[in-house]
Amino acid sequence: MNQSENNFESLRRLLALKRHEIPPPGYFDDFPSQVLSRIRAGEAETPRAMADRLFAEAPWLLNFFRVFEAKPAFVGAFACTLCLLLLFGIIYAGRPDAMPKTALLAAMTQSAVPLADVTAPVLTPSPGQQPGLMVSTNPVLSLEPVVTLFNQQNPLAQPVSVSFSIPSN
Amino acid sequence: MIMAEPAARQDPESPAPADEEALVRRVRLGDLEAYDELVRRYQERIYATIYHMTSNHEDANDLAQESFIKAFQALKTFKGGSSFYTWLYRIAVNKTINFLKQRKNRVHMSLDDLDFNAEHDPDLVAFVSDKTPRREAGLAELQEKLNAAMLKLSEPHRLVVVLHDVQGLSHDEIAKIMDCNIGTVRSRLFYARQQLQGYLSDYLKPT
Repeated sequence: MNQSENNFESLRRLLALKRHEIPPPGYFDDFPSQVLSRIRAGEAETPRAMADRLFAEAPWLLNFFRVFEAKPAFVGAFACTLCLLLLFGIIYAGRPDAMPKTALLAAMTQSAVPLADVTAPVLTPSPGQQPGLMVSTNPVLSLEPVVTLFNQQNPLAQPVSVSFSIPSN
Repeated sequence: MIMAEPAARQDPESPAPADEEALVRRVRLGDLEAYDELVRRYQERIYATIYHMTSNHEDANDLAQESFIKAFQALKTFKGGSSFYTWLYRIAVNKTINFLKQRKNRVHMSLDDLDFNAEHDPDLVAFVSDKTPRREAGLAELQEKLNAAMLKLSEPHRLVVVLHDVQGLSHDEIAKIMDCNIGTVRSRLFYARQQLQGYLSDYLKPT
């Protein structure tokens, strides 16, 4: 026991060196004011605190980064995959015939039908409503013929004639 | 195994418990001047503990500030089961250990300078001129080797060495801070010293 204590005595004397390590002069004079100003400003969320909170809420993200740290090859593989996806997207977006024409036309027709349906009820008065009070909140839609892309007339959307009448007192 | 404890550093300016309790009560009522007083009392010890754990001044500065801010925000939950000092220490230690776990494998030392007294400390002068086989090693090199050896320890072992051998806290106080029993503190301290002795064997050879 005493032997080991004696052995450690030398180590403890060496460890005393750490007590002589001191921060820059004046550091402790400014420290309280820095803490209080951060408290006052409500700036407790430093980037590190934000990162702590993020990792606490999403531990899988931390594990994800740890995998990258442990095996840097994964970083390269991940970056390559992202680049390939980006390249593929650019090339695919640049091709005009990427989507079949029939599919495009079908999509356009389907999108035009609801547009016509939406305009009609706006202008149709409800049974209990007086005809004189019938107003449209979107008259432009009702007066213009509904067209699809590339100026094709939509056969389902017909112009609706609207008459405004102001009630007399 | 029972180890001799170093004489705990008696700080003559240590607050009486009643004084500390009064300050804590005032802070709870929103008195920031009272908190300023508490920060001034404990800043050096909290900073030093974190610094000796991280061996990095910038990290220690950030973590010390965050510890005091968190303590302020959490003061409403402080039930007074332990002293404010022990509670604050626990916050700082937990924050530091969490930080070190995330920082793993990214060790960067940014050491504080040694004060003027180090050059005149008879124990340390002996290390440089007598005990060290490499007599040319100066205090700065010794400081760097010592910090590097400390960083090789696991966080709980490093913490025990810092709190006991550097800060001079008793086993009992350390057990409260680390929320473990005194036996665990003693065994960790013994193991940590053995490890350090191995790492620093060149500098600890008997004359």
